[in-house]
This record gives sequence, C-alpha cells and structure tokens, in this order.
Amino acid sequence: MANQTEEIAQIVHLGSVEILTDVGFCVPDQKLLARLEKAGFQIDLESEMVLISEDLLEAALQSLPRDLRLFSRDGQPLEKLGVESCYMGAGTPVNVFDLDSGEHRSSTRQDVRQIITIQDALSQVDIVRPTVTATDHGEFSDLVEIAELLRWTSKPVVHRTLSPDRVEAAVEMLYAVAGGEDDFRARPNFATLYCPISPGYFTPENIHSMLKWAEFGVPITLLSMAMGGASAPATLLGELIVINTDILAWIVVLQTLYPGTPLIYGSVSAVLDMKTGLLPLGAPERGLINSGAAVMANYYGLRSMCGGLSSDAKELDAQAGFEKVITAIPLLQKQASIIYGVGATDAGNTISYQQLIFDNEIIAGIRRMWSGISIHDPREEIDLIKSLTPRGNFMSTAHTRKNYRQHWYPEIISRDTYETWREKGDNLKTICNRKAREILDTHQPSQLPAKVALELEGIVRRYVPDFSYQD
Amino acid sequence: MSEELYSKLMGAVIDGEPEDAVQYAKDALEAKLDPLTCINKGLMPGIQKVGELFSTGEYFLPELIIGADAMKAALDVLEPALVGGQEREVVGRVVLGTVEGDLHEIGKTLVGTMLTANGFKVTDIGVDQSPEAFVKAIQEHRADIVGASALLTTTMLQQKKLIEALVSAGIRDQVKVMIGGAPVTDRYAKEIGADGYAEDAISAVDIAYRLMDAPV
Repeated sequence: MANQTEEIAQIVHLGSVEILTDVGFCVPDQKLLARLEKAGFQIDLESEMVLISEDLLEAALQSLPRDLRLFSRDGQPLEKLGVESCYMGAGTPVNVFDLDSGEHRSSTRQDVRQIITIQDALSQVDIVRPTVTATDHGEFSDLVEIAELLRWTSKPVVHRTLSPDRVEAAVEMLYAVAGGEDDFRARPNFATLYCPISPGYFTPENIHSMLKWAEFGVPITLLSMAMGGASAPATLLGELIVINTDILAWIVVLQTLYPGTPLIYGSVSAVLDMKTGLLPLGAPERGLINSGAAVMANYYGLRSMCGGLSSDAKELDAQAGFEKVITAIPLLQKQASIIYGVGATDAGNTISYQQLIFDNEIIAGIRRMWSGISIHDPREEIDLIKSLTPRGNFMSTAHTRKNYRQHWYPEIISRDTYETWREKGDNLKTICNRKAREILDTHQPSQLPAKVALELEGIVRRYVPDFSYQD
Repeated sequence: MSEELYSKLMGAVIDGEPEDAVQYAKDALEAKLDPLTCINKGLMPGIQKVGELFSTGEYFLPELIIGADAMKAALDVLEPALVGGQEREVVGRVVLGTVEGDLHEIGKTLVGTMLTANGFKVTDIGVDQSPEAFVKAIQEHRADIVGASALLTTTMLQQKKLIEALVSAGIRDQVKVMIGGAPVTDRYAKEIGADGYAEDAISAVDIAYRLMDAPV
C-alpha cells in the first residue's frame, strides 16, 4: 500500500514537472508577468504563459513552510491537524433547506450565523466555514460572512473574499481579533482558499486576491476543483496530474514572490457524470480523487484540505449516509489533514441543518472506527480471563468499568428495541431538527471582547452601512 | 452513388468521425449532390440516431458530443454551398454564452451541443460576454432564444443585467431567455424574469422546445 502511494506520488510529480517546464500555465496579467520574469520565470507576454524551471521549483519547495498550524480565536492550537484528519464545514452554496419547514430556499445571513453557531457547538467539527452564502447581502456577502465567523465561533475558520479589494478589510478584522499582525502570524485562526480553472488558469481576480493575502501572511489554500472528463482527463491518475500541476504552479509563484507564505494543498475535485453532465459528489470516485490530493500534499510535506464527506442526496436518507461515508474513507486512508464537507448535500449545492447535525454523528462513528484495535500489554485482560473462566461475567469487574467508555455511544442513531422505537415515534430527520433547535436555543459561543466586536462592525460598515451584530 | 454518400454522412455522425464527415461532405459537393438533401438525408438522420442512442442509454455524453461535432464539421462545408434562399430547417435559433466576469466554458458548450443535436441552430459567443455583446449577437443571428450561463454565485447577478439590457434594447419580447449554471435555480430564474431555467444540458433541450412551442 505504502509503495503504491509512493509510486502514484512519483508519477504525478514528474508529470506535473514535465507540463510546467514544457507548456507552463497561464497568468492573465501583464504586470504580474513582468514581475515573474524578473523573478526568473520564463514568460510569454502574448500568450500569457509562464514556464517554471527546475531551479525555481526546487527553491520554492525549500522555502515552503511544512508545519502549518491553525489556532482557535483564543490562540489554542488545533492539535489534531497533522496528527489525524480534521473535519470542516462545506461551502458556500446559495441554497439551504430551511430548518423548520424543510423548504429549499436562498440562504441568508441568519442561516450563516445559525450554521456557524451549530458548528461551534458540534464536538466533531474542528474548523468552521460559513457553509452558505448570505445572499441577502449581495456583493458584500464575503465580508459579512467573515465578520460572522469571527463573532460566532472561536474555532479556526476558513473563508475567502470575492474580490481583491476586500482583502485588506478582511485582514484588518483578523488582526483586530488576534491583537495585531504579529499575533496573527504566530497563531493564525483563519485560512483562505482560491480555486483555479483547470487546467492551468486562475482568474485575475483570484490571482490578485491570493497575492494580497500572501502579503499579509495569511495561510492560503490552493483548492483545485477539477472535473474529470471535462476540465481534466477522465482517468483518476490523469485528473490528479492536472490537480497537482495547477497547485504546484502556484506554490512556486507564491513561494518565489512571498517566500515562507503558509500554503495548504487543496482539492474539492470530482469526476463528471457522462450521462447527465452533472458533477456528482457522492460518487466513490469523489473520495478517491481527493485522496490523491492528500497523497501529493504528504509527498510535498504540506497540509491538505480535501473534499469528501459529501453526497448527492436531497434529504437525510440512506443515500446520504452511504455517500458521506464512502467519500470520507479514502481521505482517511491517505491521511488528509482537513476533510471538507460537513453540512453539504445535493452535490454541494445546498446546505442542510439536518445533515450538519447528522454529519457530526457520522464523523464520531468514523473516528472511532478509524482508531482501530489498540495494541497494549494484555496482561490485565489475560489474568482477568483466567480468573473468570469458565462462565464468568465481566460486567461487574473494575476493568470493564475502566474501559467500556472508549467505545462509541451514538447521540442520534437508534439502538432501541422495535417497541421503544415505535413508541418514541422519532426518525433521524426529526431528531436532527430537534438537536439543531436545541443548540440554537442554548449554545452560547464565547464572546468577542466588546471593543473588538465594535471594531469589526466598523470595518464591515465601510461596505455595508447598516451592518450590526445586534440584527 | 448519392444514396451511398448520404449513408456515409449519416455513419460519420453516428460514429463520431468529424474528419470523415468533412471528407464525405466535400465528396458530395464534388459529385454535384444537392447540399440541402445531404443535410436532410445524411446528417439529420445521423444526429437523430445519435440522440436515440443517447436516450436509450447506449451513448453517453462523449459520443453525443463527438457526433454533434461531426455534424457541425460537415455543415460548415455544406451550408455555404446552399443556393437560392435554401435554408436548413431548424427548430429555432439560439445565441449562447457565459456572462460577463465568468470564464467557465464547459457547461455552456455542452448545452450548445445538446441543442445542436436536437435540431437547433446554435451560435456560441463564448465566455465573459457583456450584455451588449449578447444583444448584438441576438440581433445579428435573429435568435429566438438566448441562453446565458453563470457558474459563480457572484456572476449569476449578470443574468439579471442581461435581461435588463434586452428590455432597454427593446427586444425583450422578441427573444426567450434561458439561464443555467450550478448556483442558478428555478426560483432565481423566476425572480429575475427569465423564461426558462434548465438544471442540466439535457433538460435544456426540453425547455428550449417548450419555449419554441415545438413538440418535445
């Protein structure tokens, strides 16, 4: 298994290097092209293509920080990152299934705030995203969402701006919360993300946004969104080469222009369904292709952010459960650092409160399963078995009392007898709804200092004049 | 001779061989066959067969696309040779593009292929197209339908701007507006006053037929 992983990494890396040194990638910005030429890239002003040399690649891989950490708002490190997979909210479609009516409707700032609050409360969600777009705030939804993230959770958060001219305002908020630039850089509680258009292209807007974030030392996720069979080859290996090439190109650019910029290797790619032209996110190939991204991230010694725990289901049903699990397992197998998908359903086009709650349950179960059979000295157990053989009962022993709690106890799934289950009259959906309601009624995320909250409001008001945390 | 070439043209479309299709089209013109008959007896039955194979699940999109490409390649040879007001019979004329600020191509192109394969004449104006560029193309190609694609939550707002531009150009009642793209919903289509929304390229054909009042 390890050998196969190593072989894939080698093949893909060499493929990417060949593409980047032969054909390169497109940088649709004349000024930046000139800057890259000065930095040693071979460029073509007319075709806007940039070639990478092996030397530049080597230097970039040298300056790349390998031990990226994310912290809570109060400066506590996210210990799991780098040791085991973390789970993160999905993002950021414009639709939500209404918590009370179940209606499929446009998501609003109210949803953003509620879904952040729920993620803050859920034990298995490590990194929080807005997960939906505040469509009621139109073109400034990005800043509103970042402000809400910083207010309603103290967990690390991930988001982006829609245009480069907002980056400064966003960074101002981050520095205000951290207590200054140095504190933020030392203990970042925020990472951003930008997607290329595969193969070999980033829009000028995304390029300028990334360069700005890099200037301010904010961790950036290079998040491939390749579509196998459309924007990338139809084989998983071929698609992985596209993913890796697009990411590697910008690792080199960002490390050359801003050495030491913290980067995350990301992929929310999938394989196109050739019957419909749609992009299924519950397919077994979804987890597989993004597990390839985890392989490559580990090969370069980077943290990864990988799309999985995803589904095409339109409601919380057997399909949702099946797809969520099969798209997460490959990511665990290849040690993805961050699994991106909590709360999403409908191929990522809609966020569901019910799914969000149930995903927490799925993750808890998966985490227990993944911990495996722990190996330890079984002396105590062997002595106990000897003393209770034959026909002894282990339930009343101290050993059992000491150890049974390491097993998983679900919060939502029913283990009731048929009779009890029937009497309760509950199902997964009603239980998840109730839980979401309960969290919203009772959970109090830790508060920002009043002065900082005011400062954040002030920053957002430059763009959204009536913005207030009190709404 | 003529029957053989019609059947060769048909076969090139069904098998998805654009180069062969072009060659047979040239052969047909050289043999002085009527280009319109070549279209109607060769290419059209070919693409219909492709459509059939697609709907029965035998063909998937890659076969459909290459079949439509073969047809288009042959049409590029045959159509300029049409004479005396001859015109290929089409279900409707469609102008298609991705809205301003959005560089995503694949979904829109797929819709174009599906419509072409189903008898529409499609003019694809490409990505990052301003409302003015859409208006100009609609007028130039006498479009019955305009299709505007947007993949981003930010650029879907441009679909609304397109409709506003059609109103101010005074042509809103002459052309039906179809919108699509991942973030777009039927709800949004109604909200901005579009005539049709399709969630994928296949349903786009049904919507286009409906907008033309043609039988599906």
